Amino acid sequence: MKPVLRIICSVALFFTLTAISNAEEDAAFLVKNAFDYWRGVSSYSEFSMTIHRSDFERTMEMKGWSKGREDALFFVLAPVKDAGNGSLKKGRDMWNYNPKINRAIKLPPSMMSQSWMGSDFSNDDLAKSDTILGNYSHRVIGRQLEDGHLVYTIESIAKEEAPVIWGKQILRIRDDRIILSQQFYDEDMVMVKEMIADELVIFSGRLFPKSWTMYRVDEEDRYTRLVYKYIEFDIDIKDRMFTLATLKSNRQR
Amino acid sequence: MNDFILALRNLRRNTRRSILSISAIVFATALLIFMLSFQFGVYEDMIDSSVRHSTGHLQITQPGYHQQPRMRNVVTNPQAIEAAAKSIADITAITLRSETFVLASGENRSKGLLLTGVEPENEKIMSLVPNQMVAGRYLNPGDHGAAVMGVLAARNLHMEVGDECVFLGYGRDGSIAAGAVKIVGIYESGIDEFDRSSMQIPLGEFDRVFSMMGGVHRVVMTVDNLAKTYEVVKTLTMATEDLSAMSWDEMTPGLKQSIELDFLSGAVMYVILVVVVACSILNTFFMAIFERKREFGVLMSIGMKPGRLVRLMLLESMSMTVTGLLLGMILGIAVTLASSHWGIGLGKLAEFTAQFGLPARLYPKLTVLSVILGPLLICFVTFITALIPVLKIPRMQPVEALRS
Repeated sequence: MKPVLRIICSVALFFTLTAISNAEEDAAFLVKNAFDYWRGVSSYSEFSMTIHRSDFERTMEMKGWSKGREDALFFVLAPVKDAGNGSLKKGRDMWNYNPKINRAIKLPPSMMSQSWMGSDFSNDDLAKSDTILGNYSHRVIGRQLEDGHLVYTIESIAKEEAPVIWGKQILRIRDDRIILSQQFYDEDMVMVKEMIADELVIFSGRLFPKSWTMYRVDEEDRYTRLVYKYIEFDIDIKDRMFTLATLKSNRQR
Repeated sequence: MNDFILALRNLRRNTRRSILSISAIVFATALLIFMLSFQFGVYEDMIDSSVRHSTGHLQITQPGYHQQPRMRNVVTNPQAIEAAAKSIADITAITLRSETFVLASGENRSKGLLLTGVEPENEKIMSLVPNQMVAGRYLNPGDHGAAVMGVLAARNLHMEVGDECVFLGYGRDGSIAAGAVKIVGIYESGIDEFDRSSMQIPLGEFDRVFSMMGGVHRVVMTVDNLAKTYEVVKTLTMATEDLSAMSWDEMTPGLKQSIELDFLSGAVMYVILVVVVACSILNTFFMAIFERKREFGVLMSIGMKPGRLVRLMLLESMSMTVTGLLLGMILGIAVTLASSHWGIGLGKLAEFTAQFGLPARLYPKLTVLSVILGPLLICFVTFITALIPVLKIPRMQPVEALRS
């Protein structure tokens, strides 16, 4: 091979490689930004959760606090029968509190993939929802224009040996950092469930989807919908908020 | 009659050979009877254990509940079914059960368990669990806030009799359900899966905690004879329109398949055994005919018809076979009866077989089928094998036979 050709080839190769790694970095950056935007530094929210089945429907009113990516606290407000039940998430650990027995029970690892409060969200969805940042490799696989916004489709594939349940996730993220949908695929790359965000509204100065619906792929007419009534972002929450003591002493603030 | 005496005399002429042939038949017959009884006994134990641990002989549930249990798929009026079942004489026991997965927690450990609401008074008749308590006692009908738990579950949760256990789950209406109970007893069935992940509370308490509003998930029944299961299922299917009635083998298809597989592998062995016996008979007869060629020559020269000679030889073989069969049956039945009385200890194997719900001692079961099946097979096969050499006789030339 002629020296000139060799140089051209290596330069081309160099640019291709950087382009690939840049694309990966860009995708990871998009995902991280979107998750930060979604969660805010800290937040207080009030929402309803409707569990829908073909022959059954039930709605719970809830409120919750979150801080950073690690900590979250939720309480059920209504119906009366369930009021006072709560969940505390700290890092990857989760506790459920029930006022009838006045006990907070830590979820064992084997129960993390089970349903949260009887919904189509799993405990993992709450406790590990940001594992997508560290445990997956991201790649932009599509760009479209929708309502004047550029929407990225990002494919996130679980890294080998990563302690995650989903083999693949596909996210659709708008250029203003709003997550429009998230699809969950098992290890065989079969879609299991899909979350779709709807009804963009402004909550305390931030554009945010009001409704989040988790659909199960294997069953028609089955979903769980969260509808936010009120969200406040970047508020001051003390760290001691996210302790077992608060979970137990919830006073319906 | 004369031929018969002649046949016996011929047999006595070479006593050792006859005894050897007969003892092969005795041994094969006895072995077949014992093995078949043993297999039938084990199958019955396996079915019985499965039936009494989990499924009952049959169950009434909502259609599809067994395949995909859902909390709200309940039998809303179990009392009506109980009333209907009372009129069927073959049903020996009925009990109601409800079940759901809960997160159970002790002092500082928690674990997912299958919590079953049971009727203690009926479980004592139907289920094995009340007799498998290793600590404390089983539930009583009047118990409040009491529970029994599998030994491995208790170990995992660091729990002993007298400790408090709390559990969290979801009610029939989707509400969050929670309860606190005291462990009054711990059971060990030997089936690890069951011991690791099950817990029982009285049905009334289950109904209250999980807002069941009188509904139950399963109406479990046993019948007095396994064979009657299907008939009762048919009757109940007609009586309970919107519900589904299932037999034990529909609910645990794995059990029936493993029994069929085991029987098949047993059958292969029996065929080999019978072929070996047949070969030994064939050998004896070929030898006899070669040895006695001269004798046949003489008999035919003095005017004996070849047909009569064939009959004579078959008479010889059949009297050997019948003697062998009778002795073998006596021996087989005696051995089987003795072992079904005392049982066969499994020693170290017991731990392994316990996983299939088998007791530490196995008891063969003598049935008409296990006594008849083996001897019939041997009788048929020996008759056919004896026929092969004997049918050579009519083709013999008397003169040639005499010269040999």
